[in-house]
Amino acid sequence: MRKFLAVVKHEYRKVVLKWSFLIGTLLLPFLAACFAFVPLIIFSLKGEPSRIAIADPTGKILPRLEKNLSAERMVEKAKKAAKDSLTKIDASQEEKMRNNAAQFMQEFKLVQYEIAGRDQDEIRADLLEKINGGEINAYLLVPANFDSPDARFEFRSRKGSDFVSNSTFKDALNDAVRSQRLAEANISEEKLAQLSAPVNFDAKGIDERGAEKDSAGVFIASFVIGLMIYIMLAIYGQQILGAVVEEKETRIAEILFSSARPFELMLGKLVGVGLAGLTQLAIWVGTASILLGFLALQTDFQAILASVPTITPIMVVYFLIFFLLGFFIYASIFALIGSMVTTVQEGGQFAFPPMMLLLVGFYFSFAVIRDPNSSLSFWTSIAPFFAPITMPVRIIAETPPVWEIALSIAVNAAAIAGLVWIASRVYRVGMLMYGKRASIPEIWKWIWQA
Amino acid sequence: MSDPTGTGVTLKISNVTKRFGDFTAVEDLSFEVRAGRVFGFLGPNGAGKTTTIRMIVGITAPDNGSIELFGEHVSPHLQNRIGYLPEERGLYKKMKVVDQLKYFAALKGMASSDAEKKIDFWLERMKLSEWKTKKTTDLSKGMQQKIQFISTVLHDPDLLILDEPFSGLDPVNVEFMIEVLSEFRTQQKTVIFSTHLMETAERLCHDIILINKSRKVVGGSLREVKESYGKNLIAFRGMGADNLISDRTFVEKVVSHADEQELHLAEGVDSQQLLRALIESGAEITKFEITEPSLNDIFIEKVQNA
Repeated sequence: MRKFLAVVKHEYRKVVLKWSFLIGTLLLPFLAACFAFVPLIIFSLKGEPSRIAIADPTGKILPRLEKNLSAERMVEKAKKAAKDSLTKIDASQEEKMRNNAAQFMQEFKLVQYEIAGRDQDEIRADLLEKINGGEINAYLLVPANFDSPDARFEFRSRKGSDFVSNSTFKDALNDAVRSQRLAEANISEEKLAQLSAPVNFDAKGIDERGAEKDSAGVFIASFVIGLMIYIMLAIYGQQILGAVVEEKETRIAEILFSSARPFELMLGKLVGVGLAGLTQLAIWVGTASILLGFLALQTDFQAILASVPTITPIMVVYFLIFFLLGFFIYASIFALIGSMVTTVQEGGQFAFPPMMLLLVGFYFSFAVIRDPNSSLSFWTSIAPFFAPITMPVRIIAETPPVWEIALSIAVNAAAIAGLVWIASRVYRVGMLMYGKRASIPEIWKWIWQA
Repeated sequence: MSDPTGTGVTLKISNVTKRFGDFTAVEDLSFEVRAGRVFGFLGPNGAGKTTTIRMIVGITAPDNGSIELFGEHVSPHLQNRIGYLPEERGLYKKMKVVDQLKYFAALKGMASSDAEKKIDFWLERMKLSEWKTKKTTDLSKGMQQKIQFISTVLHDPDLLILDEPFSGLDPVNVEFMIEVLSEFRTQQKTVIFSTHLMETAERLCHDIILINKSRKVVGGSLREVKESYGKNLIAFRGMGADNLISDRTFVEKVVSHADEQELHLAEGVDSQQLLRALIESGAEITKFEITEPSLNDIFIEKVQNA
């Protein structure tokens, strides 16, 4: 037992005290924080305002445009866009890009251009000169007949490729012209908003108790959980593979085997590295709770938080259990591979089949998210190899009855027992076989030999 | 401690056989290693030395026969009393020297405070103190060898098994290691070491066993082994004896050295008989000495004739 603990401690330290662990641990919360905070930071950044000269012979468009481009209106728009980009995951690519663009807040300074009886060409020449002189960045010629459908608004800008400002400006102009047209048709803006409001399509999933949940939020949360387990299993599985191959390649195995039982050594390795993975998860779960707690204090984000499905402590426990189940399944396969190959490169080639298996499990999680109660979802969340990814996804999407979770845990625990047994048989012999990679029949023999 | 049972035998191997599929690595091997002695385990590559050693340290189990260590059947708890330096050996590449040594010590059941003291002592002894917190990759090959040796002796084992301990060491370090091993001998610890270097074996070993093609060829104390070969070998220097020397009824084989010849007597010929014949033939004899064969000679003869 003491030796086993020595192995666990050694393997744990080997992973946790490496720079890559620190970097990996910090990177994920950092990226998550970026998603939450970067828009906020960008909103507060104000670039140089665009100075735009408006030649408005009617004098009706400019005031409306000024109102639409005011700082308050821009902040409002940016917030709405930020919220949309998080919740409207069914938006089209184009819509998403527009939303993202809108989050970059612009500042416009509108300058009224005194026409003073000049004709179109004179005005144009004068404005172009002003642009070249750097006095203004752009100009807009409002046609006198803005009412007519073929009225042309001439906009010339030195920053013609700045599609973000252009589209923002265009939207504001559109709104301004439309309001003016409505006003002239004696229809109030409020009236129009009332008439053209989209229907309120209230789509929410319900669980068996009839409690509602936001389907978009569920999708994101399930996806994130599935992805996280998938990545963790891939990283920590490779970690095991690397550690085993190192001990074989450097012949340390011979010294280790003369000091402790191979089973102790292998299991100690799995437990040590598994604990390291658990440590990383704990750090992340901790930071996530703090982050969510912090966001909850910001009134701006309460609407977003409301759409995140509630994650109960029992879900976190399930999540950790299934991570461990998956870890032991894949780690024992990787330990087996590590002890049958001779170099890290060879190990990389043989790591392909289990990595594929892992990936298939990850893909199944999409089927589970779409229909958590289908028979496919049921079987993939019970089956070993897949359940460690699909079951946590299913639990978030639509928590299945406890007996199904228990069955899944039991089936996977049994698979682990079998795999660890097989892996330890191969490990015991394979670690001392130098020179060439073992063939499958050889491995079969090792498993059954006394 | 090296002889708790009072039988004076640290290791007793009886009729041990080990097969890998159709290949027999060790066949019906029996020998004893007495406590407080240095035992040379000799044989060419592939003779079954490493397989035998692995069975002694409990890495593999024999198919037949029995191995008794310190008067008990080999079992994992005896591993703490053995220090094993394998022929193929290595260290963790990116780990600090002190951390590796601590880990190996822990695997031998040592408490970490004890280990710390011992590590400092041995690093000092090996003149490697300033490398304590360096990584393996910063160390030269020779330094790594010494660190591996430290990991073998750190837990103060009663039985030390060294498989080709000197390979890759420069002569100065070989001398240094021999000195350290000699100390073990005086502490009544048992040392088994396997080597190709017959000169070294000759200097260090009390007892030897020579195995070839998975079987024992010869074994016993160095003295006995040599004596059993030693009566028919003569170092000779002289003039006018060529006729007699090339007479195969007297001399089976002549090996010429720089300024003398080594005569291997034919079977049934006594050294005194040859001396009388030489005198009678009128040869001028400046040296006629009955010598022992070197371990090297025995090794080559036994392995070649097998």
